[in-house]
Amino acid sequence: MAGLTLNHLYKRYDNSGKKKKIKNDFAVQDLNLVCEQGEFVALLGPSGCGKTTTLRMIAGLEDITDGEIYIGERLVNKLQPKDRNIGLAFEDYAMYPPLNVYGNVAFNLRAKGVDKDEIDKKVREIAPLMQIDDLLEKMPVKLSGGQKQRVNIARAIIREPELLLMDEPLSHLDGKARQAMRTEIKRLINKIKCTTVYVTHDQLEAMSLADKIAIINFGVLQQFGTPTEVYDDPANEFVASFIGEPPMNILETTIIKKEDTFFFTFDNSNLQIAVPKRYYSVVKDGFRCKMGVRPMDVLIGGPDSQGTPEEIATFENLGDERRIGIHVGDVLMMLITEDEKRYKRGDIIKLEVRGEKTHLFDIETGDRIREKKE
Amino acid sequence: MARIQLENVRKAFGKVQALDGISIDVKDKEFFVLFGPAGAGKTTILNCIAGIAMPEEGLIKFDGEIKNLIDPAHRNVAMVFENYALYPQMTVYDNMASALRSKLYKTPEDEIRERIMWAAKTMKMENLLERLPSQLSNGQKQRVAMGRALVRTPNVFLMDEPLAHLDAKLRNSMRTELKEMQANLGSTCIYVTHDFMEAMALGDRIAIINEGKIVQIGTGDEIYYMPCNEFTAQLMGDPQINIFDARIGEVAGGFTATFPVNGEEITVSLPEDGRVYSTIKEKGLEHVDIGIRPQNVKYSFEAKEGYFKATVYSYESIGNKSVIVAECGDYQLRMIAPNGLSVAIDSDVYIRFELDRSIFFDSVTKEYIVRYDEQTFIDLAKSEEEK
Amino acid sequence: MKTGKQKALNILMNVLLIIYAVFALFPLIWMVMISFKSDTEVFTTTFAFHPTLANYKEVLLRSDYGRYILDSVIVSGGAVLVSIIVGVPAAYALARYNFPRKEDLAFQILSYKFAPEILVVLPLFMIYQKLGLYDSYLGLIWVYQLISLPLLIWVVRGYFEDISVEIEYAAQVDGYSWYQIFFKMLVPLIKPGLVSSALLAFIFAWNSFTFPLILSSNKVYPVTVAIMKYLGTDSAHYGQLAVASTVSALPAVIFALCIQKHLVRGLSFGAVKG
Repeated sequence: MAGLTLNHLYKRYDNSGKKKKIKNDFAVQDLNLVCEQGEFVALLGPSGCGKTTTLRMIAGLEDITDGEIYIGERLVNKLQPKDRNIGLAFEDYAMYPPLNVYGNVAFNLRAKGVDKDEIDKKVREIAPLMQIDDLLEKMPVKLSGGQKQRVNIARAIIREPELLLMDEPLSHLDGKARQAMRTEIKRLINKIKCTTVYVTHDQLEAMSLADKIAIINFGVLQQFGTPTEVYDDPANEFVASFIGEPPMNILETTIIKKEDTFFFTFDNSNLQIAVPKRYYSVVKDGFRCKMGVRPMDVLIGGPDSQGTPEEIATFENLGDERRIGIHVGDVLMMLITEDEKRYKRGDIIKLEVRGEKTHLFDIETGDRIREKKE
Repeated sequence: MARIQLENVRKAFGKVQALDGISIDVKDKEFFVLFGPAGAGKTTILNCIAGIAMPEEGLIKFDGEIKNLIDPAHRNVAMVFENYALYPQMTVYDNMASALRSKLYKTPEDEIRERIMWAAKTMKMENLLERLPSQLSNGQKQRVAMGRALVRTPNVFLMDEPLAHLDAKLRNSMRTELKEMQANLGSTCIYVTHDFMEAMALGDRIAIINEGKIVQIGTGDEIYYMPCNEFTAQLMGDPQINIFDARIGEVAGGFTATFPVNGEEITVSLPEDGRVYSTIKEKGLEHVDIGIRPQNVKYSFEAKEGYFKATVYSYESIGNKSVIVAECGDYQLRMIAPNGLSVAIDSDVYIRFELDRSIFFDSVTKEYIVRYDEQTFIDLAKSEEEK
Repeated sequence: MKTGKQKALNILMNVLLIIYAVFALFPLIWMVMISFKSDTEVFTTTFAFHPTLANYKEVLLRSDYGRYILDSVIVSGGAVLVSIIVGVPAAYALARYNFPRKEDLAFQILSYKFAPEILVVLPLFMIYQKLGLYDSYLGLIWVYQLISLPLLIWVVRGYFEDISVEIEYAAQVDGYSWYQIFFKMLVPLIKPGLVSSALLAFIFAWNSFTFPLILSSNKVYPVTVAIMKYLGTDSAHYGQLAVASTVSALPAVIFALCIQKHLVRGLSFGAVKG
């Protein structure tokens, strides 16, 4: 059963009332998404890409210009937020300061007029799950960021919503606390098995938390898939460069044919990389496209390597790993190695690329060029 | 450019001893990194060198000359502040020109222009020069703050977390460029950071600071491979090094380490290594803390010979790779895995340590005792220093 | 999209505002009207009358009114000037330095404004007589500090606190001396607050009545007190009184209008900005 279905969703802001004429662009454009029951889905994209607008439409805080939203099997387009049976955990904690944690968690149920004993039972049930059992008597001002966030989530899920929505809940935390809280959220959601939509601009967060990631840019869905899919099999150049840190190396290339072998060649560079056989059906001599390869998949060849000798432009020893930069034309191509050898600028290394890990992108549209299926 | 020395510098704010006997000797043209957790006193050290803060005790010398009583203006230092400290009423251009327009460092206007253009180009902000600071994003402000320092030719550049507010991509590229720039300028640079990668990548030498004291000074490799105590070991490395308590036992022809995993005792034999074995014998070690980096912990999702069982606590991406955290009873183990595995929380994972990469710490004092292949790493660190 | 309900609410709110405006402005309008009436018409309550400039001629040309205005300008302006010279460094010190009982001192300065003027003015009268400050420019300028100084110090202090101390450090490192930093870097940043609080202080000083009434007599004659003159012992020239009041209110009104935007922004800016 689907937990959440977005069907040709559009959002267009009405700017006609404003003095300054703003281009009447769609904030969200033809968004189709099916989240399975109990799935954790991240909406990921740069700021202003329409991910928060989407979330707000799902929550009912924003009008829908066109399209349909189903929660479970119910069409919720016309329903008020309170009738949609959703839990919200937003960026700002927005707790009621005069109430203690217990009061805050119980607030929604009290407002609904649920029986007192019933409320108490539920709060006591949920508190250990969120690890807030010893905080129940505390006031919100006394809580740390991480604790507030846990209370916030407890408050969202106490109503047993069909759908849990979170909007950048970690953006207030920094560094270590953020990482720890990320783990916590992942484990909590795993326990309650609630369908969750999570908005973030941080690809690490999305990669770590989500079962599936929806990558959005300029209001348009770029790719929807598991972290593995978006990392190893990006739909286009945007997804390829957005996911992964340091980002994928993406280089413009001209493919040439020597005897029976195709090679990637690059302007102002002697670098040549053999084109993997699987692409032979789509490339031809003189074909121009972009080649993408992750820094982890660029290797330093041994003494008898066939790789092109290249000069090291930058070398960084980061302890756990070393990063080497090589000028390919005017682009700095990065490679990461855990090899303990220390290089310095000007050293020559033989460069090899894991052919099976290269991706081709259209030079104009950035769309992925895929090998033809047999 | 100058050699900067601090001798036993002490500074207190009220009852808080911010600096507790800091001595460092920064060589001319060296890139020196002050690295430590928040509140360690790193910024106070910079302030003392700049003359903004006055130490109660100790000497501050530039090229051997005592500067304690010289005011900041006359020390000729360039500083990048963490909160940028841009002059809000001035454009980016005027901000960058301000030092060169002061009476003390008066420079002809066309030379100022030339230098600003150069700095703006290196900092990739030529298009920002006419803007006011309020019209800039945090990342842009940080670049302006850097540019304002770079136009000068000071005794020393003091940089306080200059890359902290940039996004990850820009931070990586700026880090690479900064190192190159410093090498080209041939300037002394003292750089404060709490980011371990910056410290490793930039520092000719790194000083680890904690609670107003220097914990260790050395090259990146020295500190990374031979941390003087567990605190330093945990600071250097992301994800953090695993440290657990083990009991040493002796068997025919060698030693074993025994440690608990989920209530069971696991015994593994310690690989042979001359220096490790002789140290164990000499000191009669019975208990040690074993430190082992996440990349030296091997995992498998099926039972295997020599692997012990633990439970997956979390699996998370850290960029180009991922971390599996495994629960082992009282402690957790971090290990490196590739991105994009499907790892279920609370599932079983089987673990093996590459003990021949481990570091031994005293289980009471938490100080460094010995590590495997110690001589190799001593040589490596030395070759780094010579470079 | 505006529904009928919203429209009705809008109209209602505007009506209420107009009622309030009439209530607040009516006395002023009435005063201006009186100033154009002849003595005989003063007490008529209709709006119809024969406008005359006689009162203006009488007050502005045939009395010492010009001198009174000048006195007001000197004491109010002088008071503000002294407040700036004393207050800006004081505000800086309160914002930047830590010393024992700092907050108590700051509060004490503010508390000068709490005491009813009439309470302090009597002892001051005796002291002033002994010191020879009675009926002198200096005396009034001094006592006006009770009005202008706290205001200025508190507003400007907020502005100084908003300037991060690192900006001063940066300027020091850039090779500037403390005085150069103060005038080149800090003064431009506190200017909005300084100007607005100084103007407000000027208006308050200008409008002050109790202090000049009791602490001055013949030599120094600010307008607020001088207006009383037109309430003679034998006859009350309400027309002339109205002229004197209108003219004396003009500087305040003009200032307020000119700097309206500046004033609101200047006084609230320091508090809002993070």
